[in-house]
Amino acid sequence: MSSRERSRVVDAALRSLPSLAVFVVGLVVWEVWVNVRDVPAYLYPSASEVGSELLAEGPSLAADDLRWTMIEAVLGFLLGSFAAVLTAIVFVHAKFIERVLFPWAIVLQTVPIVAVAPLLTIWFGFTLQPKVIIAALICFFPVLVNTTKGFRAISSQALELMRILSATRWSIFWRLRVPSSLPYVFAGLKVASTLSVIGAIVAEFTGADRGIGFVIIQASYRLDTRLMFAGIALSSAAGVVFFNVIGALERLALRWPDARLEQ
Amino acid sequence: MTGTGIAIDGVGMQFGGGQGVTALDGIDLHISAGEFVALVGPSGCGKSTLLRIVSGLLEPTSGRVDVSGKTPDEARRDVDFGFVFQQPTLFPWLRVLGNVLLPDRVLGRRNPNRGPHREQVARELLRDVGLERFEDHYPGQVSGGMRQRVALARALSYDPKILLMDEPFGALDEFTRDRLNLQLLDVCNKTGSTVLFVTHSIQEAIFLADRVVMLSSRPGRVTRIAEVPFRKPRGLEVRYEPEFAALTGELRGLLEVEDEVELARRQL
Ligand SMILES: Nc1ncnc2c1ncn2[C@@H]1O[C@H](COP(=O)(O)OP(=O)(O)OP(=O)(O)O)[C@@H](O)[C@H]1O
Ligand SMILES: [Mg+2]
Repeated sequence: MSSRERSRVVDAALRSLPSLAVFVVGLVVWEVWVNVRDVPAYLYPSASEVGSELLAEGPSLAADDLRWTMIEAVLGFLLGSFAAVLTAIVFVHAKFIERVLFPWAIVLQTVPIVAVAPLLTIWFGFTLQPKVIIAALICFFPVLVNTTKGFRAISSQALELMRILSATRWSIFWRLRVPSSLPYVFAGLKVASTLSVIGAIVAEFTGADRGIGFVIIQASYRLDTRLMFAGIALSSAAGVVFFNVIGALERLALRWPDARLEQ
Repeated sequence: MTGTGIAIDGVGMQFGGGQGVTALDGIDLHISAGEFVALVGPSGCGKSTLLRIVSGLLEPTSGRVDVSGKTPDEARRDVDFGFVFQQPTLFPWLRVLGNVLLPDRVLGRRNPNRGPHREQVARELLRDVGLERFEDHYPGQVSGGMRQRVALARALSYDPKILLMDEPFGALDEFTRDRLNLQLLDVCNKTGSTVLFVTHSIQEAIFLADRVVMLSSRPGRVTRIAEVPFRKPRGLEVRYEPEFAALTGELRGLLEVEDEVELARRQL
């Protein structure tokens, strides 16, 4: 590691220090509150109890259930984002199709996912498909909206330049629309990455024999709140990791100055 | 390569229908092959609009333009034009060198400068505009004047027959401007390109052009076409000739009259 890279790592660590501090303060408040109010442990486990549950069950949960949930989430994410980008490409090149289909994209977005999940379970059973489909559905809209916006976010001057060069549609698409849309696409993908984990878990609630959603719902039947908290903590940690993986890809892809959109 | 002439006949441009803005009105201008014509006029008089019409980016609402037997649109599709826009219009995701190479990438086999040395050609162009040390910078990392010079190098990179330049040196200091003016004359001398050059500086117009076209504002009309009496190649010293001062004074007077007319019109 060069000294410049090292100082970048140190910088990043220093920058995340305040966020970590908030986390620690939250844990302490939680611990103190549970102990002071003397609430029943089966309803409100303390932070330390959840911690020890995580230590005991975490590794096996992560290796098995969380792995499944993330496979579903990532597959759904890829499927939904891919479909959304394709749809955006069609929209940008055929305004008419956009006018016809965009209202339906909004309808699709307003359909309560929780209500669709049981239906898919009836159709597909306790398989991978319903989870992937739900995760894909939930990813579709944010990626579609951002990508369409990105394809349109080209200046009229840049388009004039391409016309002066007598560029083909194909060339305009690859050399102008795609690069200028990337910041928007990644903004959409980052939103979708966290949503995909939620989608997979919701789908697992309605019919699954493995996965974090399954673990949480089973634990709720047994009033095993410690395990529920552990599941929640694990799944959101996985969501954060997924989000940051996309963020890292974004930094790799968008290397020019001021490329990334403000979040 | 020989240049290509342009015939502009009765061109008018009205924006926004019936009672919209009349940007140009009855423009007649014949530019012969290899000629350098400068356009000077007050802000908003339609200079950029005229360049867009000549290059086929915009259809005039009246009149017609002929580019050596082709319509502007046909000439545009044959990539006869190099256009330096009023804004640099660089792609921020491409480095400076990548931006200069963009025409080559887009044109592919249609680029007359195509060959194993095209990267070398691009580097030389960048050196000519004084940017050899900035090839690997992104546009976001160089100054406005530098971006404008990248745009110039990009327009020259494929030897267009006709160069349309919209205030390309507006953002430059006097010293750099002089140098690029000389360079531009040199390039045109070599390639024989026809040039239509917009500027706000009467001195720059006279120094560069064979003819200076003065436009009035709203509607944009040709008020005067002045022949520049100096032969090419020219050196910076022509600016100290008495004829240079006389012509500068005369054309400046035209602009000032224009200003007074505008003022009087507003006071009515
Ligand atoms: N796309 C457009 N739609 C409507 N009006 C326009 C459009 N483009 C230009 N105009 C109008 O046409 C007139 C001429 O504009 P143009 O940009 O050609 O001026 P210009 O001579 O280049 O000015 P400047 O020296 O400030 O660049 C202006 O009044 C402007 O408002
Ligand atoms: Mg202009």
